Amino acid sequence: MISFLTSGFFASMLSFLAIYVALTVILHLQANVAGVVNFGIAGFWGIGMYATSIFLLRFNINFWISIVLGAIVTGLIALPLARILLNLDGQAVLVGTLAFASIVENQIFVNREITGGSRGLGTIPMPIDVGPYRFIVYGLVVVAFVVALILYAWKLKKAPFGRLLFSIRDNELLSRSLGKPTFRHKIIFFAITCGLIGLFGGLTAPLHSFLLPMMVSPTVTFTAWIALMLGGQSKISGAVIGVLATEFVFFYLLRVILPLPAEAAQMVPFFIYAAYGLMLVLVLMFKPTGIMGGKRRGN
Amino acid sequence: MSACNTCKDTEKTGVLHIKKAVKRFGGKTVVNVEDIRIGTHCIEGLIGPNGAGKSTLINLMTQKLSLTEGEIIYYRGDEAINVSSKNLNTLAKLNLVRSNQIIQDFASLTIVDSMILANTDLRHEKFYKLFNDKEVREAAQEKIDFYLDYFHFDFPEGHALSAGEKKLLDIIRCLILNPKFLLLDEPTAGLPQDQSDKVIDLLQKKTAEEDMCVLIVEHNLDLIWRVCDYIHFMADGQILIQGTPDEIKGNETVNKKYIGEESNA
Repeated sequence: MISFLTSGFFASMLSFLAIYVALTVILHLQANVAGVVNFGIAGFWGIGMYATSIFLLRFNINFWISIVLGAIVTGLIALPLARILLNLDGQAVLVGTLAFASIVENQIFVNREITGGSRGLGTIPMPIDVGPYRFIVYGLVVVAFVVALILYAWKLKKAPFGRLLFSIRDNELLSRSLGKPTFRHKIIFFAITCGLIGLFGGLTAPLHSFLLPMMVSPTVTFTAWIALMLGGQSKISGAVIGVLATEFVFFYLLRVILPLPAEAAQMVPFFIYAAYGLMLVLVLMFKPTGIMGGKRRGN
Repeated sequence: MSACNTCKDTEKTGVLHIKKAVKRFGGKTVVNVEDIRIGTHCIEGLIGPNGAGKSTLINLMTQKLSLTEGEIIYYRGDEAINVSSKNLNTLAKLNLVRSNQIIQDFASLTIVDSMILANTDLRHEKFYKLFNDKEVREAAQEKIDFYLDYFHFDFPEGHALSAGEKKLLDIIRCLILNPKFLLLDEPTAGLPQDQSDKVIDLLQKKTAEEDMCVLIVEHNLDLIWRVCDYIHFMADGQILIQGTPDEIKGNETVNKKYIGEESNA
């Protein structure tokens, strides 16, 4: 048991799940608290991941400083994007952010002097070098970041700023007529939370150790969205449960951890995808607000 | 008619000076107001048939819509503010406040939260301020207690459910902003009679005691005759006649264009 917990596999699983929880919690803040439908998570995550690695490898900057710089770069790129997109309606924001993520993927591919293009960028070492335990130690550091994020999100929703964000999501014009500069708040909050996505992108870099443009695919975005829908959009716990119910169950538990007979190995992935889809359909049919979701309000 | 002391300083200038204000949607001129002053009396009324442009005019005054031509000046103390240079939210912070004709609410905020939101100062609403909710609640407590006590809500910690509750909450939110000039778009539509009387009583009390003027848009003419000190009659996008309730009541044009029309209908 101990050897499993300190294994590279467990550390990698823990770290990736934690990163996905973080992305889903941030998505919850953007989509469900502030009402900004962000379908460009992969883009911001990718900018963070690549920017961090570039600062680290090309400029020899300390990893932790690189991560902070990567997050700042992501936030600064999100700022003008927010200025363009956020006074449009929800569908336009959806399409705009999705397109933005594609642009990011494409730019990483094209600018090969900086990003390495399709040859890749690496190698990114584990930043905390404590011998064989470095993977699990780093995993725990990632978890600590995620816990801090969850505490922030939880506290924010109870703070006056959270109340303001809810009011903007519910009825922006009414919020403005109460004197709230809603557009400015939306832009700033979007940039900050995208910066956080970039931060977790930076934290992902050592886990991949070698970066390829294809990693910055919309899969990351969809994983977070599906987890959020399934877990329950209106709660932070929904984001956590959602990631466990999708990523953990289907891509770790069923595929790797459970002792399935070897002869079934070829079949398993197909069954997993079928079961994954079936669960999505069932949850949306019988509990449209998600596993942790409460009653539906409004609209 | 209420005796009004605090509005005396606005008697000549008014609170809003509308100069050659024109609003066109495409080729259609919806509002075309030559030169009028609003807010020369404590409680004024704006009446007129459907489609006269009353709500559009209110939207122009608060920058929910922007003018095609002309200007609207808002006198706030010694300041003269061109409303075109501001927007909806900055005008609200300058105490030029409006209620909504169509029922508006925040679906996820409780009645009390909604009041706290209206009362919260902008400097408390920052993404890095996580521990100031207690302070913000305490600052709003006195007003919340007053309004909950005055207008009885069944479940103040719950959501506003009925149309009447939402309408009332809308007006309360406006009053919490300490308006200097309050525009009420059909404030009593959808309210039960007793609540509507309470709203009017409170408005009369506040205008008499505080530095506040009110403009009411209403189709309930009994209320207009009873409450307003001065009335603007609007038809076809223009302010046709202004005067005291008695002058308006007896006016031929008003009868022909509005009151007569209603009694025939």
